[in-house]
Amino acid sequence: MRYSLGRLDLTLLALLGLTLATMAVAGATRASVLVDGIVLAIAAIKGRRILLDYLDLRSAPALWRGLATAWLMLIVGFAWAASAVSVLLPSP
Amino acid sequence: MSVTDCEHEEAGWGVFEGLPGDPMMWVLVLSELVAFGLFLGAFIVTRAVRADVFASGQTALDVTLAGYNTIVLVASGWAAAKGAASARTGEYRFARRWLAFAMALGGAFVIIKLVEYAHEISGGIGLETSVFFTLYFLLTGFHLLHVCLGIVILAVVCRSADPIHVGTGTVFWHMVDLVWIVMFPIIYLVR
Repeated sequence: MRYSLGRLDLTLLALLGLTLATMAVAGATRASVLVDGIVLAIAAIKGRRILLDYLDLRSAPALWRGLATAWLMLIVGFAWAASAVSVLLPSP
Repeated sequence: MSVTDCEHEEAGWGVFEGLPGDPMMWVLVLSELVAFGLFLGAFIVTRAVRADVFASGQTALDVTLAGYNTIVLVASGWAAAKGAASARTGEYRFARRWLAFAMALGGAFVIIKLVEYAHEISGGIGLETSVFFTLYFLLTGFHLLHVCLGIVILAVVCRSADPIHVGTGTVFWHMVDLVWIVMFPIIYLVR
């Protein structure tokens, strides 16, 4: 019997690939604002896939997709901004 | 508008209409996301203020184990989503199997996290070692409790494999998954 990959399977593959990419980027490169940005951007992409495909918000009202995505972007964006500020304005 | 129409309108869930699972689960999920968001916000602000303490604390963490846990949890979310899809199409036997697989992976997450804690504690690290470890143990411990609760919820909905119940249980499980996806880089990777 042939098994064709559905959306959920492709999402799993994407999430596994992005997790490995995150660990590779964080482990192979020296810490910097750019690396933090890449790692957090990957987390945002993974979170969005979970919201749309695992939580099935793709077919839910736009209000809920927007709210959940806003939560995700707020946390990730705040983490990156704080990281950038602490690098650009080092403590005395 | 007839009386029947009015009754039908009152029985609706308003803004919660169209969401998968029971709307009350979404009320819980929203409050959990706010709580985790505030907790993570406190962690981020404290790191900006005490960058040196956080940098040294982070080097004592096991990024590889946390990475394994991320893989385990996204695979568990996939199995739970497959279970919910099977329940929706009436394939209850498959739904139960997928949910059992999701719970087993959830159990693996708990074991890996406890192994990680054991390594840290045996290395002399505790809740009061530094502000970094206080927040680390509280945040990851709070999340671990949610993973355990999620496994219990999946076990409860697995018995009937009713599509609404399974949908409701898996919403909670995916919330736990989503929080870890954000928590992993913020605690372990971002400097």
